[in-house]
Amino acid sequence: MNFPIRKIALACAAAVLTVVPTAACSDNKSDASSSGDKSLEIAYWNYGPAAETGNKATADAFMAANPGTKVTLTPVTGENWGTYYANVATLIASGKHPDLMLISGEGAQFVHANNLVLPVNKYLDKDADAKALTGDIAKGLIDGFTVKGDVVTLTNAWNDMVVYYNTALFKKAGIDPPKADWTWADFEATAKKLTKDTNGDGKNDQYGFTWASNEIFPGIMPWVANAGGNLTSDDVCSATADTPQVNKAVSFLENLIKEGVSPAPMPMSDVFTRFQNGQIAMFGAGRWPIATLLPKFKDFDIQLYPKGDTYKTVFGGSGYPILKSSKNPDLAWEYQKFTVSEEIEKQYVGTPDKPGDSIPSRRSISQTISKVGVPPANSDLFYNSIDNYPTLVPYPAPAKYSAFESTVLRHLQLIFAGEKSVSDGLKDMQAELSTIVTC
Amino acid sequence: MTEEVVPPAVRRGAPPKKRKDGLAALGFLSPAIVTFLVFVLAPTLGVLYLSFYDWNLLSDGTFVGLDNFDRLVHDDRLLHVYGSTAYMALVILAVNVVAGLLLAVLLETRMSRWLRGFFRLSFLFPFVVSASAVALIWRFLLNKDLGLVNYVLGLAGLDRIDWLGSSAWAPVSVIVVNSWKTIGFSILVYIAGLQAIPAVLKEAAIVDGANAWTRFWRITFPMLSPTIFFLVVINTINSFQIFAEPRVLTQGGPGDASRTIVEYLYDRAFGDFDLGYASAIGITFMLVLIVLTAIQFRLSRRWTFYE
Repeated sequence: MNFPIRKIALACAAAVLTVVPTAACSDNKSDASSSGDKSLEIAYWNYGPAAETGNKATADAFMAANPGTKVTLTPVTGENWGTYYANVATLIASGKHPDLMLISGEGAQFVHANNLVLPVNKYLDKDADAKALTGDIAKGLIDGFTVKGDVVTLTNAWNDMVVYYNTALFKKAGIDPPKADWTWADFEATAKKLTKDTNGDGKNDQYGFTWASNEIFPGIMPWVANAGGNLTSDDVCSATADTPQVNKAVSFLENLIKEGVSPAPMPMSDVFTRFQNGQIAMFGAGRWPIATLLPKFKDFDIQLYPKGDTYKTVFGGSGYPILKSSKNPDLAWEYQKFTVSEEIEKQYVGTPDKPGDSIPSRRSISQTISKVGVPPANSDLFYNSIDNYPTLVPYPAPAKYSAFESTVLRHLQLIFAGEKSVSDGLKDMQAELSTIVTC
Repeated sequence: MTEEVVPPAVRRGAPPKKRKDGLAALGFLSPAIVTFLVFVLAPTLGVLYLSFYDWNLLSDGTFVGLDNFDRLVHDDRLLHVYGSTAYMALVILAVNVVAGLLLAVLLETRMSRWLRGFFRLSFLFPFVVSASAVALIWRFLLNKDLGLVNYVLGLAGLDRIDWLGSSAWAPVSVIVVNSWKTIGFSILVYIAGLQAIPAVLKEAAIVDGANAWTRFWRITFPMLSPTIFFLVVINTINSFQIFAEPRVLTQGGPGDASRTIVEYLYDRAFGDFDLGYASAIGITFMLVLIVLTAIQFRLSRRWTFYE
């Protein structure tokens, strides 16, 4: 099995199947070792200029704080987290061995199941700084990156799902801002009032609410969680997509479309544009839309998702786990710790004109968001939602997350298009997920 | 003393000049040969090799023989996706070959130089723009409830169409967007073919009293048949390989209504991390395209005309 031609063939095959160059099918394993004991290589998702500048700033600051160290950043492309993981896997298959890689909460199971990650439990137990750091990080954020007792990484930034609403449209319609204890019925009534035919052609062109059709995290998950359900079992070993709770959540959303309160679902990037145009009054997302909306569009605020049978905060985070292949795990731990230092965490706060696109994981830093005046007005809600409310645990992120999410979305498309009933659609979804969500 | 006559076939090697020419030709061809070997042949062999393995990019692969190919036969979704791919590809092919010819002929009729230039540029422009960027704009235009297309239809008293969300219309949207993007290339090739037809042939036909249809059918079409054949082959391969348009417009949905084989293969490889199975799909898909192309070459003997 170790015959070199296999490795070359596999790497070449991976190269032809992906958009990421694989360093001309060469084996770069020697690079890491040849660059000295105090060198680190870090793979990160290069989703845009912000990712590049943010990672570079962190790496530069780390090198300045630790003279003699060398940090090499490897930007990896990907249309979403799933394809980013696939491209990192391609990178590893072609012989690269990063010391750390950026992951999201969805990736925790993936790196753990593939035996890629070095858990940080021993560092957390021994390192004197660790206790102070973890004390300032919400328990939910630590638990979110814990798989079978192994802490995969410290969370450096995170997002929880909240409802964005257009304050100008609310004011125009004479509707009071929503309160944190609003219910699904309140929400539906509000959305109906905000659905209008503004140009008098007899057809609605302003809608109360929509959600992302291309992601489940800011799509159906908050509704499923607040109906008391989840898409997987507690051990993330089996799918639970056809339960009455999931049915209730999906039926609620389907009904919004049927009643004409929500337009046909669209991808998140389109939602941002429609929201700024005033065509959508409310949508759900984490903190990341703020970086797109500001500084030009300021007529918005946020509120918790409305309460169904229960309320649970749906969140996801990111971190830099240490990979088992790291030549310098101790230095890698120092880097991981550095990503949650005050200096770096402040990046996620930002300024009113250039806000961060995530929530800092450190409570003390997060509380400065409203103090420095970064909109929206209700920004304190971001951290309060994880400190003061129960969270959706576990986040339904099986090791095959990309396949899992695309399967859920594919069946939802048919349901929301009215081509399958909610029950039949969820039944088919469950049947397919049962082969994807396994342990 | 008689000179020994050596038959040409027995002479060893080519004459020095020919050998030199051969080396020069090889030199000129070497970039293409190296590119082909490194970026086409080697990866193809790699994919063939991989198709016999169960491999998730990270673990050691396991040799599974023909198991991945056996899975192809039992994959109902794959069959469905082949069907949706064939439907979209064949319509795109027809639009490119038939409408492309019609538009090229129209563009070659009498009109001002500026107008001709404007139309040519208009048709060619989408071809040179990124497919993903084009699809993003179309996605915005085709939105059922907030898109410009349905707004215009509404002004004409028509109901809104769920262009991207219904199983019936989603493939149509992919066909429209892809055809709109690619037809410029077909028109360009047709125009080159039309301009290569000697004017004297048409003039002689006019003198003989042939009408426009007879001139097209008896002169233009036969003279253009190699061009048509080229476009049939190229457009078949290209249209079966579409990826960006369904990916951006409909995410292959709803369900698998507008999913293509390349999209399906990509998802198996980088969604499921099932590289072996994705490779088996890739190899069989390549064979399907080779067979289709071979059939086209065989049939072309009956209708293509070479001077």
